[in-house]
Amino acid sequence: MDQNMAAAMELRCWGGDWGLPSVHTESLIVQAYAKFSGAKVTVSPVDWTWKTLTATVPELLCGDSAVQEPINILNFLRKQRFNADYELTARQGADTMAYIALLEEKLRPALLHTFWVDAENYANLTRPWFASRSPFPLNFLVPSHRANAALSRILLMKGEAPLHRITEVEGKIYSDAKECLNLLSFRLGMENYFFGSLPTSLDAFVFGYLAPIYKASLPSSPLQSHLRQLGNLTSFCDNILAVYFSSDRPCPPPPVQETMDANLQKLTQLVNKESNLIEKMDDNLRSSPQHKPHRPDPKPSLASEQNSTPA
Amino acid sequence: AGLHRVFDLFTSTAAEPWPESATLYQPLKEDQILLSDCASSLAVQAYLRMCGLPVQVVCKANAEYMSPSGKIPFIHVGNQVVSELGPIVQFTKAKGNSLSDSLEDVQRAEMKAYMELVNNMLLTAELYIQWCDDATAAEISRPRYSSPYSWPLSKILAYQKQWEVRRKMNAVGWGGKTLEQVYEDVSQCCQALSQRLGTQPYFFNKQPTELDALVFGHLFTILTTRLTSTELAERIKSYSNLLSFCRRIEQTYFEDKSS
Repeated sequence: MDQNMAAAMELRCWGGDWGLPSVHTESLIVQAYAKFSGAKVTVSPVDWTWKTLTATVPELLCGDSAVQEPINILNFLRKQRFNADYELTARQGADTMAYIALLEEKLRPALLHTFWVDAENYANLTRPWFASRSPFPLNFLVPSHRANAALSRILLMKGEAPLHRITEVEGKIYSDAKECLNLLSFRLGMENYFFGSLPTSLDAFVFGYLAPIYKASLPSSPLQSHLRQLGNLTSFCDNILAVYFSSDRPCPPPPVQETMDANLQKLTQLVNKESNLIEKMDDNLRSSPQHKPHRPDPKPSLASEQNSTPA
Repeated sequence: AGLHRVFDLFTSTAAEPWPESATLYQPLKEDQILLSDCASSLAVQAYLRMCGLPVQVVCKANAEYMSPSGKIPFIHVGNQVVSELGPIVQFTKAKGNSLSDSLEDVQRAEMKAYMELVNNMLLTAELYIQWCDDATAAEISRPRYSSPYSWPLSKILAYQKQWEVRRKMNAVGWGGKTLEQVYEDVSQCCQALSQRLGTQPYFFNKQPTELDALVFGHLFTILTTRLTSTELAERIKSYSNLLSFCRRIEQTYFEDKSS
């Protein structure tokens, strides 16, 4: 198995705090996926650089190409054979798309509101954090620029034309978000990850959305209190942090693709050969005159062979 | 304002039976209504038929402005006005009609997730094609949208709507997409729906739910609406189980014109 990426990959993200590798949902999603799929990316925070205003974050740089947006970055990593979704069935892949849409439509507005529009949270947590990590004079521009973008996004997605007022939609977006959290909790159940024993891209997305709500020291957040009551979702976040982001433990290896293919092929061939041999022996026994068949009906055969009629 | 009305109806009208005079309002069918609104309206009509709730469809040129949330369609039941599929499903549930009550929690989570997939991808794609593709906007959307009004109001309203939708597309990250990318997104969405449906008659096997109504509304409308190109319909046609799904619902719930 060769290391197919000759060019190094660099990921531009927002920095971390509150026990998280990054405070920014999209950056978290990409970092988590990189860990799950075993992709070696160098994470370079944009904190304290002019990129806090100019760059679209997160951004993956690989050789000549620059990829933005979590979906595109994950697709790019998959094409480079860093695929955490390798073992999913087509149906599970469809479920992944559906749940990501659920997060996007029902949880994102409340997430944006909690951090960027809620006056108390913005003044006490978000603005100081982003201002302290932007160089002068950007510390005056970056937080308000992001807050305006967040507000307009919420209003355009959820607001009622023609008068777009945030107070009218606040109730709805929070009740939608709480319902979304409940649905995720039902779906996860008692498992560690959403699809079996290894994390996939859906786990990366859910982690990216939930972890900031869970861990940030928000002065006032009904959403955070609601999330903290859903024990399986908080354990989900803590588990990923402990397994993939703790500095003292090495990461578990990702699902290895090529050797599994070869082994599976060999095993299937062996099983088929064995079953062919057994069938032939069985047929010989049946057709020989001194043996009466144990069962009148022929055994179902794995290989396509004509069934011999009992003598 | 629309939200308060929905809350009011929960507390006061849960016990009242569904009246015979319930009406559904949408823009004018022949000249005015656009793809996305037609799809949303058909989804609600399919849902109500699946519940066995009779409703009369009335076409009004100013339906969009009559609606409490500005979105089409809306229903007028008794003295309550409710718009959009989500609130309408909750409204009928308060009256004791629900298609998804028998689902388990995990299944309900899945159903809601797939409904958001349709809203996130199919509805957004319809809006994009209608208003962000210059050819479609000029030939179909603006003329149709402004058809009930005389100049200069027609021009103003059409361009205002186009501006609003383009702002929304930019906000959700679709502003920079090409038409080809949008078609590809629709294909992927249909592939996911096709995978989920498999060989079952409905998404949750034997009984239709609001998800079936929503998917039917969008797919059927796309298949039967004439646009500047047939590309969108062709993408859907490549999934045969989705085609038979639409045909099945059309035959089961829309063939008899008794309601």
